[in-house]
Amino acid sequence: MQRTRRGLVGVLALVLAAVAGCDSPSPKPAPGPTGAGAASATATATSSGSGAGSGAAMTLRVLAGSELQDMQPILDDARKATGVSVKFTYTGTLDGADTVTSGKADGSYDALWFASNRYLRLDPAGGAKLLSETPVMVSPVAVGVRSSELAALGWDPAQVTWSQIGQAVAAQKLTFGMTDPSRSNSGLSALVGLASAFSGAQSALTQGDIAKASPALQQFFSGQKLTSGSSGWLAQAYQRAAQGGSGVQVGALVNYESVLLELNRTLPAASQLTVIRPTDGVVSANYPLTLLSSATQPAKDAFQRLTAYLLRDDVQRRISDVTERRPVAAGVAPGAGLGTDVRPELAFPGSRAVADALLSAYQNQLRRPSRTVYVLDTSGSMAGARLTALQAALTQLTGTGGSGAVVPFRDREQVTLISFADGVKWEHTHDVPDQAPDAALAAIRSDVQSLSADGGTAIYSTLEEAYRVVAQQQAAAQDDRFTSIVLMTDGESNEGDSAAQFAAFYKALPPSGQAVPVFPILFGEGAKPQLQGIADTTGGQLFDGVSGDLGSVFEEIRGYQ
Amino acid sequence: MRRLLGVLVALALVAGVAVVVWRTCCAGSGVAPPVSMVTLHGVIGSEKSDFFRDADVQKALRAKGLVVDTASAGSLEMSDQSLSGDDFAFPASSVVANDIRGLNPVPVRPFYSPLVIVARQSTAKLLLDNQLASESSSGVWTFRMGAYLADLQHSVTWESLSGAANDPALRGLIFVTTTDPASSSSGALHLAVMSYLANGGKVVSDQAGVNLTAPLLRHLTEIQGAQLPSTDGPFRNFVSGVGNPLVWVYESQVAAEASKGTLPPDTVLLYPDTTFLSDHTLVELTPAASALAVALRDDPKLQNLEARLGFRPSGDPTAFGRAMATVKTKGFAPDLSQAGVAQVAIPATSVMRQLVVAAEGTG
Repeated sequence: MQRTRRGLVGVLALVLAAVAGCDSPSPKPAPGPTGAGAASATATATSSGSGAGSGAAMTLRVLAGSELQDMQPILDDARKATGVSVKFTYTGTLDGADTVTSGKADGSYDALWFASNRYLRLDPAGGAKLLSETPVMVSPVAVGVRSSELAALGWDPAQVTWSQIGQAVAAQKLTFGMTDPSRSNSGLSALVGLASAFSGAQSALTQGDIAKASPALQQFFSGQKLTSGSSGWLAQAYQRAAQGGSGVQVGALVNYESVLLELNRTLPAASQLTVIRPTDGVVSANYPLTLLSSATQPAKDAFQRLTAYLLRDDVQRRISDVTERRPVAAGVAPGAGLGTDVRPELAFPGSRAVADALLSAYQNQLRRPSRTVYVLDTSGSMAGARLTALQAALTQLTGTGGSGAVVPFRDREQVTLISFADGVKWEHTHDVPDQAPDAALAAIRSDVQSLSADGGTAIYSTLEEAYRVVAQQQAAAQDDRFTSIVLMTDGESNEGDSAAQFAAFYKALPPSGQAVPVFPILFGEGAKPQLQGIADTTGGQLFDGVSGDLGSVFEEIRGYQ
Repeated sequence: MRRLLGVLVALALVAGVAVVVWRTCCAGSGVAPPVSMVTLHGVIGSEKSDFFRDADVQKALRAKGLVVDTASAGSLEMSDQSLSGDDFAFPASSVVANDIRGLNPVPVRPFYSPLVIVARQSTAKLLLDNQLASESSSGVWTFRMGAYLADLQHSVTWESLSGAANDPALRGLIFVTTTDPASSSSGALHLAVMSYLANGGKVVSDQAGVNLTAPLLRHLTEIQGAQLPSTDGPFRNFVSGVGNPLVWVYESQVAAEASKGTLPPDTVLLYPDTTFLSDHTLVELTPAASALAVALRDDPKLQNLEARLGFRPSGDPTAFGRAMATVKTKGFAPDLSQAGVAQVAIPATSVMRQLVVAAEGTG
């Protein structure tokens, strides 16, 4: 409806321009997205004149997954050939879906480019925002097995099924890393593939299939030793461990075929990954370049020019060579490293209810439980709005979400809160049970409300205490959990141990301690170099709570916990 | 010329009609002949977006004084969305067109296209070996809808077909992937065809028929999982080698891709023995659209382009066969009745909506 209204306004503008006289050089460009000022009149006068080939300069604002960064060389050429520049804003698939569904993308972006629109389309409100989509390239979610472990498994990489992988994991012959399916499309696709394979589903998954697959899935996920909120971080973590850095070593990675092959380019020989596309079926990402219904006419024209360029045979081949993704144009051979034997494509669930049931089962029953320590700066500078923001961010994790991008504290999760200033003020541990978790969540909320701000900032000494708490918990429970520490601070460490002392402390930890990453959140006047150093030392990642909303940062970190 | 301009501008302003006429000198293109041009805005089904984007089509339309600006929408969305400001709507079938109030009581149907199934050669061979398909001496393939319905009702899998072991890409239930019937007419027309078969070869016309066929229609949706909103999606997936082995598409999509030479070389086109001919119907919303309807129906140059881009022009029955004789992909039927394709009638709009609701499980 908006489209037609704008169309009419545009037409009236043209009418007025025409009335203004035959000598007027050309109609004025209609108001449009960034760069519309540079668009010449030919782009706005009629939309139909421009097919492929070069055209008016135009910038297309695209909300995209960060993995699309590898398309930059191709997009640079596209700009020269078509006049269309792409301005990417990166976000995760599921956060991107929220942006679109909530209407925040209208007028801010012209197009989307994610691995898949499947999740977005499960919500009719999201699907209604999309005008058209063109798949540009394909990459199946695959299992990359460390080549050195392949021989011991006795596998022919071309002939492995999901069940064989499941059996190897169950027999403790293989460990793996995978992204959190509530945060990342590769994890979600893998989970759909696994549930289909383990339930023996003959068509799209149903709730019954999920229940049927649960025992095998739970066994499989006992071998998941690495989780993350994004495909890119998972690859980095593998690479870091492979090069002798901090972090957990795994035998396999579940990720896009393209990510695995790109990763191989920089891996030492001993940790190269052999890509296995299970013969009983894969779920593929087809990277649809997607036009939003709210896009202006000049943006629509630019979109057409860009997609026509990207689907050219020579460009398709180049995309495959550069990105290790498969071409979508018929007759274009995939890049050299890509296997050409076909795999069945597994159906993606058709309803939100099934997808949500699958995600909820993963978070609360199937995956290994987590042990999560929050190290919270409650020094004097946190008083007021900062403390309120922190309390709100933590309280939101005690809600009853379980679907979409928000992953609240899970059933079976052990949550420790440490309040610190110049020293530890208090530390409380809460176990969220898998039956009736409400009381534990209420107790966490009450602890969060009791946080109060005063005193100095002893970051390193408190982190050391957090590692000691983790060690005690590990010793007491004798269990095997995803364990991580979140550090939230708005200042610089000005009391207690120094960075060097902390580094020495960390190096002296046993392997079970060194496997625990710290995820620092930069907030207020937080000292970025100190926090980056902590992330680097422990194999964690720095998150920015300064420029964005603290609540979204806490949500994002859930993917790593 | 100035006076014509003035009259039309006044008309546009008074009637709120989105028609623009301007002298070529004002449009900024120095080389074009001094013909007065009419710009028409319309909403079309996505299966025709390549047609209107084609440079030769645009040229042929310009020669008729027409510049056509289109936006795509799922055909079934057209009856819902406001078409104010548009000169025409061009959905994929007369069923949808009947719901849109146009100026002309009998809107023009310039071309049509049957709904067909695409598969890879190895899949088609398996269907042939298992009596789900046949191939004529002239190389035209037929898909047996009755046998398919029986297989659906017995949950037959690819693995259970004889010879299936040769193709590792085939597993699970045998079914045809369609678009979302709630937004796209090709998906809805598939439901219409399946309901006709399940209703004992009768068009569903009452509640009893809806009740009888509802479980099958619901099953057809459930087994597919996520469905795409318009026909371009599943067909693109087929071309790029991902997705289900059998896909329900317009013949025009396959023919257009074949004309461009970008169809996978082992593509087989299967004509369902019972299907629907999608009669693309141009609903005129303003008087200016009449010229477009007439040009698309009667202009020989446009008829040939329609055929080359995959459609069967209603004004020239042999154009499609001539156009497809030159492409590399074989198996396009020059004459549909000779190929044994029977067309079903479509349920009344109100019944059609009930069938879609039954399939979606939202009723």
